[in-house]
Amino acid sequence: MHNIRSKAGTVRRTLRLGVAGPVGTGKSSILATLCRELADELSMAVVTNDIYTDEDARFLRSAGVLPAERIRPVETGACPHTAIRDDVSVNLDAVEDMEDAYGPLDVILIESGGDNLTATFSPALVDAQIFCLDVAGGGDVARKGGPGISKADLLVINKTDLAPHVDVDVARMVDDARCAREGLPVLALSKKDASSVAELADWVRSLLARYRADRHTPVDPGPMAPHSHVHEGSHTHGDARP
Amino acid sequence: MTAGIGPLAALLLADGRLPVGAYVYSAGLEPAVAAGLTREEIPALLRARVRTVCVTEAAAAVLAAREAVARDPVDYGPLQRALAARTPVAPLREVGAALGRGVHRLALRLAPGHPAIAALDTAVLPGPPVLRPLRPVVTGALGAVLGLAEAELARTVVYDDLQAVASAALKLLPGDPLDSVAWVAQTASSVEEAVVEAVATSKPSDLPARSAPLIEQWALEHARTERRLFLA
Ligand SMILES: Nc1nc2c(ncn2[C@@H]2O[C@H](COP(=O)(O)OP(=O)(O)OP(=O)(O)O)[C@@H](O)[C@H]2O)c(=O)[nH]1
Ligand SMILES: [Mg+2]
Repeated sequence: MHNIRSKAGTVRRTLRLGVAGPVGTGKSSILATLCRELADELSMAVVTNDIYTDEDARFLRSAGVLPAERIRPVETGACPHTAIRDDVSVNLDAVEDMEDAYGPLDVILIESGGDNLTATFSPALVDAQIFCLDVAGGGDVARKGGPGISKADLLVINKTDLAPHVDVDVARMVDDARCAREGLPVLALSKKDASSVAELADWVRSLLARYRADRHTPVDPGPMAPHSHVHEGSHTHGDARP
Repeated sequence: MTAGIGPLAALLLADGRLPVGAYVYSAGLEPAVAAGLTREEIPALLRARVRTVCVTEAAAAVLAAREAVARDPVDYGPLQRALAARTPVAPLREVGAALGRGVHRLALRLAPGHPAIAALDTAVLPGPPVLRPLRPVVTGALGAVLGLAEAELARTVVYDDLQAVASAALKLLPGDPLDSVAWVAQTASSVEEAVVEAVATSKPSDLPARSAPLIEQWALEHARTERRLFLA
């Protein structure tokens, strides 16, 4: 049902890439950037998750980076976290509709709705995910950890052009993130810095190549990762429903 | 394959945690609230639904379950057409098909290759617009495969509708969540009447056609609303 048969007769499914992260950190902008950079070489579509409006889809349509019909908002019944994790039905419907209508697609980008550090995508919905923080949220956020920060396939620290205005040391924030991620990639990004944009696009190209070669294993960042508080041993919090 | 699990199936299908995407549906509450319905009137909305749309949907599920086990080849077409005809408002047919799609995905997971599930393709109406299998048809087919008794199936369908209203109330007209439970409990005797009527239905042409004009009117208005939490 989810598979597309290529002309050669081999089974190849579209790469489904999620973009999660706190409100306003630049998720929609990352989607727009990726479409702008990659849509000439790859067949792409976008699914957005808003709580209440179709704001994200409108923003992306007005950016003109993809034909409007390839950008679809899903309505998540005020359950944006459920829609990317505990019950991904409505997002799967949208993804499958896009694959049916415009397939074969190379990449479908899915933007999460909702608003916190613990919301990540289930592997039932995406093959890989980017977690997006920004410098304006403060230099400490990367150190605070959480499932997206520590385990997403790529952590983006966005809006580095703003760092001098918010007194954040980008190099240090990136180092903190690297520590929390035990070797997983971290990218300092600004839409105003062409070389960082090129790095982001290259990361997606190489992910797609690994995915196609069956060398990519989807990882579930899961609920709150085990962590420790000062003066206590390490423990895990239960996953609160949104 | 998961088949013939009997009474447990009723609990599984009625559980709000069932991951079939039903959280996008307020069963008419959000459109009603937009039209001015107050918190005090929610029990009245539940009573109205249980006597109208719930009877039709529960009866459709029962007929789908019978079709699933009675005939070879299984053909849900006549039932789907009868139910679509009794759902005259396009946005409600669309949401019925969207909700059916979630249950269909579950059915394919629980009973892949089962002939009664594979036959759900016979419920697709070509359109335009194409109408995927409506939720009562899919739930009935899955209920039959799981070995759910007819009355339990009918009760599950009605209960799910009432709980959709009651739980959406927590977001739309917030108050004590325990009230929501009490409202649903108070419908018990009308739920049983709906169950009896659903089980007594014998063929698609006899499917109860219970029109609820305000529910339909509000659903039409809701489809044109921009800022909303629920599809319908
Ligand atoms: N200076 C600067 N601003 C940025 C950058 N990326 C995004 N922004 C701005 O940050 C704001 C939020 O960006 P969005 O892309 O809408 O963020 P989002 O995460 O999609 O927001 P929500 O969907 O509301 O959670 C907008 O005003 C963007 O223009 C960047 O690299 N540098
Ligand atoms: Mg956005």
